[in-house]
Amino acid sequence: MADRIFVTGAGIISALGVGSEATLRSLMEGKTGIGRIRHLDTEHEEFPVGEVALSNADMSRMLDVGYPEDGIRTVLMGILAAKEAVAVAELSDEDLRKTAFISGTTVGGMDKTERYFKGILDTDAGTEDSRELKYNDCGYSTELIADNIGRFNLVTTTSTACSSAANAIVLGANLIKSGVVDIVVAGGAEALTKFHLNGFNTLMILDKEICRPFDKNRAGINLGEGAAYIVLESERSAMARDVNILGVLSGYANTCDAFHQTATSENGEGAYLAMSRAIDMAGLTPGDIDYINAHGTGTPNNDETELAAMFRIWDKNLPRFSSTKAFTGHTTSASGAIEAVICLLALKNGFIPRNLGWKDPVREGAVPVIENIVDADMENIIDNSFGFGGNDSSLIFSKYHKTNG
Amino acid sequence: MADRCFVNSIVQVSCQPPLYDTWFDSPCIYEERYVRALEPDTKGLISPSETRRMSRILKRAVYTSLTALNDAETDMPDAVITGTGMGCMENSENFLVDLCRYGEQCLKPTLFMQSTHNTISSLIAIILKCHGYNNTYSHKGISFESSLLDAWVQLKSGMLRNALVGAHDEVTPFMSLAMKKTHPEYSMVSEASVSAVVTSEKSEKNICEITDVKILYRPEYKEFANLLNPGDDEILLLGVNGNALNDAHYTKVLETVTYSPLTLQYKNIFGDNFSAPALGFYAAVNVLEKQRIPSAMMLKDRRETYTDDIRGITILNHSDGNAWSLIRLRRI
Repeated sequence: MADRIFVTGAGIISALGVGSEATLRSLMEGKTGIGRIRHLDTEHEEFPVGEVALSNADMSRMLDVGYPEDGIRTVLMGILAAKEAVAVAELSDEDLRKTAFISGTTVGGMDKTERYFKGILDTDAGTEDSRELKYNDCGYSTELIADNIGRFNLVTTTSTACSSAANAIVLGANLIKSGVVDIVVAGGAEALTKFHLNGFNTLMILDKEICRPFDKNRAGINLGEGAAYIVLESERSAMARDVNILGVLSGYANTCDAFHQTATSENGEGAYLAMSRAIDMAGLTPGDIDYINAHGTGTPNNDETELAAMFRIWDKNLPRFSSTKAFTGHTTSASGAIEAVICLLALKNGFIPRNLGWKDPVREGAVPVIENIVDADMENIIDNSFGFGGNDSSLIFSKYHKTNG
Repeated sequence: MADRCFVNSIVQVSCQPPLYDTWFDSPCIYEERYVRALEPDTKGLISPSETRRMSRILKRAVYTSLTALNDAETDMPDAVITGTGMGCMENSENFLVDLCRYGEQCLKPTLFMQSTHNTISSLIAIILKCHGYNNTYSHKGISFESSLLDAWVQLKSGMLRNALVGAHDEVTPFMSLAMKKTHPEYSMVSEASVSAVVTSEKSEKNICEITDVKILYRPEYKEFANLLNPGDDEILLLGVNGNALNDAHYTKVLETVTYSPLTLQYKNIFGDNFSAPALGFYAAVNVLEKQRIPSAMMLKDRRETYTDDIRGITILNHSDGNAWSLIRLRRI
């Protein structure tokens, strides 16, 4: 097939560290990045979070691009991750001019808004301080990340809550498929904010312990933060540039649960459709899937629904699955890309990260991978991302072979 | 492989009366710098018990979406794709205000639940029980065009047969004050809700054809010389808004083209906001359908005469001079 979409770059920053190597190391050591709140200004210290260890000042220094430490945290993390992805893919300035940049985010520069909002509210929205609100919407954050990487050809932003990054990857793939561009840097970035922490808290879905995805006694989410991008490239372009191929994006699907804004349907219709359509697109059968990096947030509702959808597809023969949310926290808009990078690391290293915090099954047969597997020869991995509003997306990453074989 | 893309219906809610084409011949004139959208009449479309729970932007989005689907006689679209620059601003803002005033306790879940940008697209899917493709773009003044580009590439590659594409933005009074500082280049800050059904299927329902959708980032002005071809683009609809800073970018583009296109505007009628380009798209579709250009849209007739045979319109918009979009429409 001439229309394969390759992954030629990947970059990541999360509570597990900066870069793919640090991420893999932390996962292999089984060391969670979740801990007490250090940087976020909040009174809710009772909630553990997956914070990126670096302060804004640390990141600003590391970047060396002049993006200031009083800038937007989402942008700082985004630049770090996108820089790694672009470097791995060996994209030159000239290549970037033909490359699209698509980033998923939900609150964008909300951290900065929070710093100024009260002052503006107390005085008058017409004052100079209001200028500080200018660059805080989703699109501006994306452009700030893009501008600190290079001169892209097309820049846009997806915003579908916790599946934003996955949907950025979906658009990227469709742009390549239709010939609009040959190379796309796609992913997402999201910083922890008071807005999100308090928002999720009003829904009473935050766990005060470290989260326990797929465990019978799971009690909710730990919020995380981070950014990750992958470089998607047409087969033709990757061959012409003669670059290393990390994997193949062999299938993907975006569907809608169409059930409730913040709850999921009992039979997991959206998740079921997303996984099955992605498998169809890849020309695979359910039995070809070697591992599922589940959305597995640790909320009673999500995990039950995701399992219901998995049982509908695989019946009693579930593939190996785990949620890495107990490592990274739920990185919301960035999660689809953070987990995509984890899937690519898994594929390359024959490694399946364990599902931390699991003790008892939700239902019979629903046992995730609880010990790291280091000798898994895998061909196809599913990366699930499900968002509020029932925005469900599944991506399938397959091992690269010279021909489809 | 389907390789064409048509508009089958388009509906707007803005500061001009919804549905009725009165804006075409006698648009409402506003002196204010900040104008909210007129409220649509949702009777018969959505039950009052449902609308009571919706914020203004959600009500408008549901109204334009359901009306556009009715007009196109499309019961269930293959996809719902939405653009929104600021998302559900009223709820986000109220949640932030509560956070500032009352601290981090006792906040309202409903405000948070209906604050995310994708609330709009999701709500439409929930009402329709539409399990198809669902996506939301939030990228300043090219949010609508991002949605249209998404639909366009999927229609062209046969992944979709049709899609409900829209753009919605609300501007709260607080935000309108802040925007004097953040967006001084907006002459009239307004609100917009536009929904359209686009399809790859040729039929009698087709109003016009979309022949190109492009998003460009930081293009050089000279790139437009190749993009805007004489003959093909005799009419240009521009996102000018009367502000020198904003309009200078269009002037520079026009300097690169070697012919004198007839230039039109729409922001003088509909105002400016992140979703305004969707209203430009709406206006262009109407001009092609009616084969008539309302005088209010005439920017400056740089030619002595122009044919009333309106074959195509190219819509050009930019956001901050960085993000540009180009949409090409053809008469059927």
